[in-house]
Amino acid sequence: MPSDPGPDAASEDWLVAARERVRVFAQYEGAFREEADVVVVGSGPCGAVAAYELAAAGHDVILLEEGPPFTVRDFELDGNLSMTRTMREGGLRMTRGTVMPTMQAIALGGGSLVNSAICVRPPDAVFDRWATGFDLERTNRAELDPHFDAIATFLGIAPTPDEVQGRRNLLFRDACNALGVSSEPIERSVRGCRGSGECFTGCRSRAKQSMDVSYVPAALRAGARVFTSVQVQQVHSIGRRVTGVSGQVVAPFSRGSRRGRSHHFRIDARAIVLAAGCTATPVLLKQSGDLANASGQVGENLQFHPGLAIAGIFPEPVDPQFGATQGYQSLAFLEEGFKLETLWAPPPLLSMRFPGFGEELLSHFAEIPQMAVWDAIVSANRSLGRVRARWRSLDPVLHWAIHPEDVAILRRSLKVIAELFFAAGARKILPGVQGIAEVMTSLDQARILDSDAVRPENLVLGGNHVFCTTRMHGDPTRGVVDEDGRCHDLENLYIADTGIFPQCPSVNPMLTGMALARRQARLLGQRL
Amino acid sequence: MLTALLLIAFAFLVHRRFLSGYAPPPPGLAVLHRGEATFIDAAAEVLFPGGGSLPVAGIEAQLPHYVDRHLAALPRAQRFQIRALLLLFEHGTLLFPGDEPGGRRRFSSLSAAARVSILARLSKHPNRHARLVFMALRAVLTLGYLGHPGNLCALGVAPFEIQPGVSDAELLFPRIGGLVSSIRYEPEDRTDPALLGPLDPHGPRHRAYARAHPGRR
Ligand SMILES: Cc1cc2nc3c(=O)[nH]c(=O)nc-3n(C[C@H](O)[C@H](O)[C@H](O)COP(=O)(O)OP(=O)(O)OC[C@H]3O[C@@H](n4cnc5c(N)ncnc54)[C@H](O)[C@@H]3O)c2cc1C
Ligand code: SF4
Repeated sequence: MPSDPGPDAASEDWLVAARERVRVFAQYEGAFREEADVVVVGSGPCGAVAAYELAAAGHDVILLEEGPPFTVRDFELDGNLSMTRTMREGGLRMTRGTVMPTMQAIALGGGSLVNSAICVRPPDAVFDRWATGFDLERTNRAELDPHFDAIATFLGIAPTPDEVQGRRNLLFRDACNALGVSSEPIERSVRGCRGSGECFTGCRSRAKQSMDVSYVPAALRAGARVFTSVQVQQVHSIGRRVTGVSGQVVAPFSRGSRRGRSHHFRIDARAIVLAAGCTATPVLLKQSGDLANASGQVGENLQFHPGLAIAGIFPEPVDPQFGATQGYQSLAFLEEGFKLETLWAPPPLLSMRFPGFGEELLSHFAEIPQMAVWDAIVSANRSLGRVRARWRSLDPVLHWAIHPEDVAILRRSLKVIAELFFAAGARKILPGVQGIAEVMTSLDQARILDSDAVRPENLVLGGNHVFCTTRMHGDPTRGVVDEDGRCHDLENLYIADTGIFPQCPSVNPMLTGMALARRQARLLGQRL
Repeated sequence: MLTALLLIAFAFLVHRRFLSGYAPPPPGLAVLHRGEATFIDAAAEVLFPGGGSLPVAGIEAQLPHYVDRHLAALPRAQRFQIRALLLLFEHGTLLFPGDEPGGRRRFSSLSAAARVSILARLSKHPNRHARLVFMALRAVLTLGYLGHPGNLCALGVAPFEIQPGVSDAELLFPRIGGLVSSIRYEPEDRTDPALLGPLDPHGPRHRAYARAHPGRR
């Protein structure tokens, strides 16, 4: 088995050969057909790791990605316009039921291009719950730690250094210290962060080790072929075996329109790894004749980490544009069901929830230089939903409803964030909850946040961590894939994205997804 | 005959209400029609009045152009939703008139005071859906207003001037739309952000923002 190369491990001869293995939109001149040992669909964190591992083990791999590769000069600085380029449905995807925005990237590197690179290992308790609830024997920290370690070494995962925290992150640390709450600098897959606070629109410094600068080049170096701007529309099968995938070339930014689709392609392969993402893979399976769904679980069990945020206004300038996008966290409340983090994003996106209009709204805008934003993500294991296919489209319809017990956790997290802000010396907070005071200036006033006065429909939620739609289960009648990520119903179809999580992981999911993908790819590599 | 006359009268009324009487649109719009552009300016004027703490007022921020760019970049379904929102606001006065004589006129034809009172009513409306409609409009326009380079610079939160990095991605992939053969970078062009160190929190901002002045985009 290969060892993970550091980014500077190889000589540079690989570059010419690797460029020949890349295909971008401008290169496609007609329909094409290819063969490979393994085809991996989706180049997000999970697919990129799987493609690298399989290529490094000597297999002929084709990695397919619907989005284009972004170079630094393709990044758009305006956060809103950036979302229209990097996110599916222009970044305006919403769940139905409990209405909540949820985003999925469409780019080489998937979510890693636009995420904050937070890498956290779930605690033992999470894996214990998975083992007992889902008949799993080998999905635990002891088994996964070597995979976590290898990925951490490869991506340079390390705690965010103080020099690039910026004041808005350090205020969180001070607040936690003041209240005796444990906190720590966030571990991120970043080398040489400069504190530009712009992870969300793409790291212009190329410090962030998104997949397009890390695992995808490593896969190319190891011999994989990478085809971008190709949309897989069907997985083909005969009996209990899949035979290949087919689809069409899509123009960058063609936004799902039929006019953007052109040449057809087909790739035949001995094994297929679906890593199209938790909301895309089930749709692909359904559009392929309800594949791998003897259990009836494809598209079911949809879970999120619903998140909410509070803006705190301090008496003095915080210079919030400077600092790691998300630099500090507290895991102190994980057992209660939530994790706390600091957060930054382009200010127009952060301030969409500010109250009022006219002079009142402008006065809130004027305080942005004194603002910090802290958020909570909640382990909403009881809040379930499902993914359905839209007619003649690969865009999913997401139904999801927040459970009353999870609302209680959200309320509690709001109150804790408020306590932290006032402990740090905030002058006031903007809780962003409708139906109660829009601005709070004391802890006394903030107590209402942990009460029934906070109606679930008045919470402004966001959910970018998505799980469980093709869940892993030891029992083939209750899950879609086994512990190795192989579909119970098909001998050579694997799923490697966050859809295979049996439950939400309570912490940011990227690293767990990558570790599971690494383990799975190594097993698949041995079976081929 | 009577039906034909009724249809003609109906068409005339629809035309008068929805299409006629708008000033020509500002040049350079790809998606928005003149009525939508007029509405956006009318809403921006009262949502983001001038003379406050930010240098660029709503009416100067060229929001029709920003919204136009946004809509042009969105998939059809999302574009339709936002345009429906603009239409709803402009003509919702038919059902929820402004509180002045002639309050059923189009939103953009109402006085500033009447527009303010409509927005105030919606923003505090007991019905959650009415509040959501208000918040959606405010969000669409805030993105362009606060995102205006002049306003972001004034607040000190514009993106930093940064030396663009060169990573393996720049070595392997062309700019979007280009061919692999167009890549000009070689391995020796690679940059190491660690050598540059942390940015200065008060350091220079991206050129496109720093040279911004009121009214310019
Ligand atoms: C704004 C944001 C910030 C986040 N921050 C963090 C963070 O800091 N830390 C963390 O742990 N998690 C974070 N997350 C979540 C994390 O990014 C995701 O959990 C992770 O990207 C999931 O990886 P994946 O490989 O399962 O899927 P994805 O990253 O979604 O990748 C799937 C890929 O498949 C492609 N694809 C889909 N359908 C097809 C098709 N039919 N044909 C071809 N290709 C297809 C997609 O374009 C995409 O590139 C964040 C998410 C968002 C949106
Ligand atoms: S904060 Fe800025 S420099 Fe640091 S990883 Fe994010 S985008 Fe890159």
